[in-house]
Amino acid sequence: MDQERAWILRALQGDQAAFGQLVRAYERPVYNLAHRMLGNAEEAEDAAQETFLRAYTRLATYQPERKFVNWLLSIASHYCIDRLRRNARTPQLSLDDALPPQWLTSDGERPEQVVDRKQEQEMVRKVLATLPPDYRTAVVLRYWYDMSYEEIATTTGSTESAIKSRLHRARQMMAGQLQVA
Amino acid sequence: MGEKVRCEAREQMSVSMSLVLDGQLNRDRQSGLEQHVATCPDCQAAWNAMQQVSTMLAKSPMVGPSFGFSLRVERRLAERTTQRRQLFRGMALLTSSLSLAGVGAALILVIGLGLAAWLWFGSQPAWQQAGGSVPQVASGLGLMGKGASLFLKDLLERYGLPVMLLLGTGLAVTGGLWAWFFSRKPDRSHRNGYA
Repeated sequence: MDQERAWILRALQGDQAAFGQLVRAYERPVYNLAHRMLGNAEEAEDAAQETFLRAYTRLATYQPERKFVNWLLSIASHYCIDRLRRNARTPQLSLDDALPPQWLTSDGERPEQVVDRKQEQEMVRKVLATLPPDYRTAVVLRYWYDMSYEEIATTTGSTESAIKSRLHRARQMMAGQLQVA
Repeated sequence: MGEKVRCEAREQMSVSMSLVLDGQLNRDRQSGLEQHVATCPDCQAAWNAMQQVSTMLAKSPMVGPSFGFSLRVERRLAERTTQRRQLFRGMALLTSSLSLAGVGAALILVIGLGLAAWLWFGSQPAWQQAGGSVPQVASGLGLMGKGASLFLKDLLERYGLPVMLLLGTGLAVTGGLWAWFFSRKPDRSHRNGYA
């Protein structure tokens, strides 16, 4: 934590190497959020990069009492929601859609395990893709980051009751998809 | 025949199911839900599907970017910094040029108007020079123009070419310093091998 604070302070003084350390420390959670939100590797890479660029330019607005990773996830989720709305598309995927390249290879797994894992990942991607952006954000922050209602509300700039409602509606929609399939 | 009957309490049960999955439902309400689900096939199916989705999401691992992500971010950051620096430099150059040009134009205008007023006002009969705001302003401008021209004339007569050369050199040095200030490479924070 002290190390993180030191990197932030140095980055605030324009030290891009220190900011690079922050990128390395948090690239995985930020990328994962973008990937789950946008549904493909290429857009996720771009969105994750953009998140860090925005974080660098807005670093002076970061409040130290907040978790730095949550602040980054907040920037990432807003960016992804904007992007989904701007593109006016919510990926509706068919079973014929190709899997992202990183799911096609794996070390030390039997072929049937690889197939099972790929099918499961594909199913995750499909059910997430059926959700409106706001619902998707709540689900991703709840399941992959284990955030409480309060943390999700702070990250997304919403209220706890709205998050509770979004999670409920999202689960209903996803369960409905599963029952249909 | 074999048609599914939709439970009237399903919506309420569904809210409770979601709260259970988040560990937010108290024990009493949870046991109420369990009892209802045990006797209601519609809610049983919904509960199974919701649990299945929840388990599937909870099991799904976090995915990371491909190798070299941080380097790609640093490269984009450096590019953006350069772009911003160039934009800032351009804006600074433009605004400074405009303000210098504005000051120059204002000086020329004041001197020109002053000289014109001085010449015109000096040629008027005395009775027309008294009273009224226009003659007063013209008189003021005339005095300024006269003062400026006398000052320049005096300088030239007293010091001649050397003072004009000195003034020219001073202006050139000031301009050079100004250009250097806005075009120099900033700054200590970017000398870390990443910019």
